[in-house]
Amino acid sequence: MARVAEDDERAFPELVRRFQGRVTNLVSRILNDRECADDLAQEVFVRVFVHRRNYRRGSKFSTWLFTIAANLAKNEIRRRVRKRNWFSLDALQEMVNDSAIQLADPTEGRESTMEREQLRDTIGRAIAAVPEKYRLSLVLRDIEGLAYEEIAQVLGIPGGTVRSRINRARGMLRRKLQPLLRREGPS
Amino acid sequence: MNCGRVRGLFGAYWDDEITQAEREWMDAHFASCTACREQYDAYARTLELVGSLPREEASAGFVDRVVSRARRAAEAPDRLPNPNPRWVPLAASVALGVLLFAAVIPWLRPASDHGRIASRATPVTTGVSARADLPSAAGPDAGPPAPSRRVTSESGASAAAVMSDSIFDHTEDVEFILDPVTTRRAHPRAAVSHTAAVQGERAVITF
Repeated sequence: MARVAEDDERAFPELVRRFQGRVTNLVSRILNDRECADDLAQEVFVRVFVHRRNYRRGSKFSTWLFTIAANLAKNEIRRRVRKRNWFSLDALQEMVNDSAIQLADPTEGRESTMEREQLRDTIGRAIAAVPEKYRLSLVLRDIEGLAYEEIAQVLGIPGGTVRSRINRARGMLRRKLQPLLRREGPS
Repeated sequence: MNCGRVRGLFGAYWDDEITQAEREWMDAHFASCTACREQYDAYARTLELVGSLPREEASAGFVDRVVSRARRAAEAPDRLPNPNPRWVPLAASVALGVLLFAAVIPWLRPASDHGRIASRATPVTTGVSARADLPSAAGPDAGPPAPSRRVTSESGASAAAVMSDSIFDHTEDVEFILDPVTTRRAHPRAAVSHTAAVQGERAVITF
């Protein structure tokens, strides 16, 4: 990142190459929208480039990168909620239940590709149904594997708040996936 | 052992953020409490499902598109979406200016207008009957009535239509002529008869 800040021509593409997967995955899991995630991930790197001189040397680059990504994802969620109320909890709960019912169909092969796709879709929707502030912490922790302290820096909240949000998010997610867990039984 | 306390530590247990003593304590509880064991299994299974999601990869050509967009944005930073568009404060300023102008403009009218209004509001002199425009009520010394237009039930609608355009134009002022009236046995009667000897007053209300 230091080389990018010094306008090294080759440094920026290298940086994008190195972090593109993590940023795309993070944004995609927060939004549960693959197509929009690609565009938003590009925007994250554009912001990094435009504001490259604001990066404080010595601080962890991934923390700064995830802060930008989380803020843009947050803005996108709010824009959607305002525009179309896509993330209505009731509507998403219905979708989760429908998917769980479809998964319980015994005529389908247990390991079929379609079932795996449905399973991922159900989990993705269940995550998307968790309220925004809890969802961000959950994705950063349980999908991206960030430490609690780093999540606190990314979101700009105290470590204790991060723990409590993650606990609440996990509890909500468990309740939303309950039909699926009952069907699958203990692993 | 307190089941509530154990369930409160599910997160720390999963994240391996508890001491060895706490872990042994919880393991002992799980061995004896089926409900807590099942609760924790569901908790762990949920997080395993979340962790089993495949990683989304960036699309082909991602790096090239980003570099191209970044260069364009660096050359013209204003192409980035502006969260606070400039037209919002500009429009607000214009609206405020119009409101202020509308509030101040009555005070900017020439003094002659106020004088004209005042002269019209002056009561008419004696000798004018309660109905000054009635020829029979006009006394011999009554001067010519001020230019006026009486509002009647027939002409009320048209007068109202004219009034809406006459905020600053007083040429179409409407004058109300008030007759003093008394009530006797529920029958209104004019307090004054329309004779030349009785004087009346005329009030002019200017809009």
